[in-house]
Amino acid sequence: MRVIRTGGEDGLADCVSEDGETAAVDLGLVDVVPGDAVLVHACVAIQRIEEPA
Amino acid sequence: MKYVDEYRDAELGRALSTEIAAIAEPGRHYKIMEVCGGHTHAIYKHGIEDVLPPEIELVHGPGCPVCVIPMGRQDDALAIAERPEVIFTTFGDMMRVPSTRGSLLDASARGADVRMVYSPLDALKIARDNPDRQVVFFAIGFETTAPSTALTLLRARAEGITNFQLFANHVTIIPAIRAILDSPDLRLDGFIGPGHVSTVIGLRPYRFIARDFGRPVVVSGFEPLDVLQGVYLIMRQLAEGRSEVENQYTRVVREEGNPRAMQAIAETMELRTTFEWRGLGFISQSALKLRPEFAEWDAEQRYQVPGIRVADPKACQCGEVLKGVIKPWECKVFGTACTPERPIGTCMVSSEGACAAYYNYGRFSRRREPAATA
Repeated sequence: MRVIRTGGEDGLADCVSEDGETAAVDLGLVDVVPGDAVLVHACVAIQRIEEPA
Repeated sequence: MKYVDEYRDAELGRALSTEIAAIAEPGRHYKIMEVCGGHTHAIYKHGIEDVLPPEIELVHGPGCPVCVIPMGRQDDALAIAERPEVIFTTFGDMMRVPSTRGSLLDASARGADVRMVYSPLDALKIARDNPDRQVVFFAIGFETTAPSTALTLLRARAEGITNFQLFANHVTIIPAIRAILDSPDLRLDGFIGPGHVSTVIGLRPYRFIARDFGRPVVVSGFEPLDVLQGVYLIMRQLAEGRSEVENQYTRVVREEGNPRAMQAIAETMELRTTFEWRGLGFISQSALKLRPEFAEWDAEQRYQVPGIRVADPKACQCGEVLKGVIKPWECKVFGTACTPERPIGTCMVSSEGACAAYYNYGRFSRRREPAATA
């Protein structure tokens, strides 16, 4: 999923999947900014995805 | 689609397949275990076995989190779910897993308040919205899912939400792999390491497999080219007489994993002395329970559960499938008495279960001819 906006309801971030589905995600375990891609399991981002330069 | 299309290039797949065939020793029978249920699903979905040379057999491991929960724990879940004050929440797959008294869906039909959620955070929201009810989340999964449970527990404590409890059934992958390696039932040549678990635990925990058992481990992603490259890297190690831990899934997996996620797990949970796995039996220090300081949120502390070991139905051979001893279609009830619509065993419930994956993607295909033995 890709981070759209941080600091949403309940401290969760808005993220969107490649097929356009949005979800509220806890980013507490990763250092990311809007635009970053993250691997999400059960509404928690567990890793930032490295994107080719 | 980004992160998908570039890993499904048919031409690259064919090239990898040719390279794998070129380094396979003719007549030798290679057994490679994919530990993770996600890999099992990908292998069947994309027909990866069909592009491998006949010398290579992919063996399906115990990495489907739904599959490894024993029937006794499902009985315990039902006992909690049927309490009138409880709203019992769980992932969708767990609702269909049979217990001795039917599934959680059956319990729901009998009047229990069982609700499907996508995450423990959803369950916590239900607790916030229903302060006069007790909300229990059936927490399952490997190290991939445990961080979500841990963060939710920390939120519950921070917000002072005390009508929320966890029925903790998180398991850890390394003791299960060790149990398989120690088992005399199976001779394996290498492992495709679990990609998403490794984003949390990193690469270090697998080193004993290469060092003490002399088996290669390649942590791999879940797209067809990821899996094929994982197989290629294992075959290359075998051809060169090496046994190392390699990382194919570099876009997500770091050497050190995610220390913050491991810290969240360690802060809230600790290892159980022992835990029963379906098929593998009791394995020491292979599962997590809540730390004593979180007893207030621990469903096992709050509610009496039967806590009895229950044998699988006689006809079900999930245990052998989970150990990689038999293939799904070798089970007596596969595709007849046991189907995804009416599962007898857990391997037919979850999409990550080997039986469901094979049933959904390959049930009409014939078994491959076994490779000639040397």
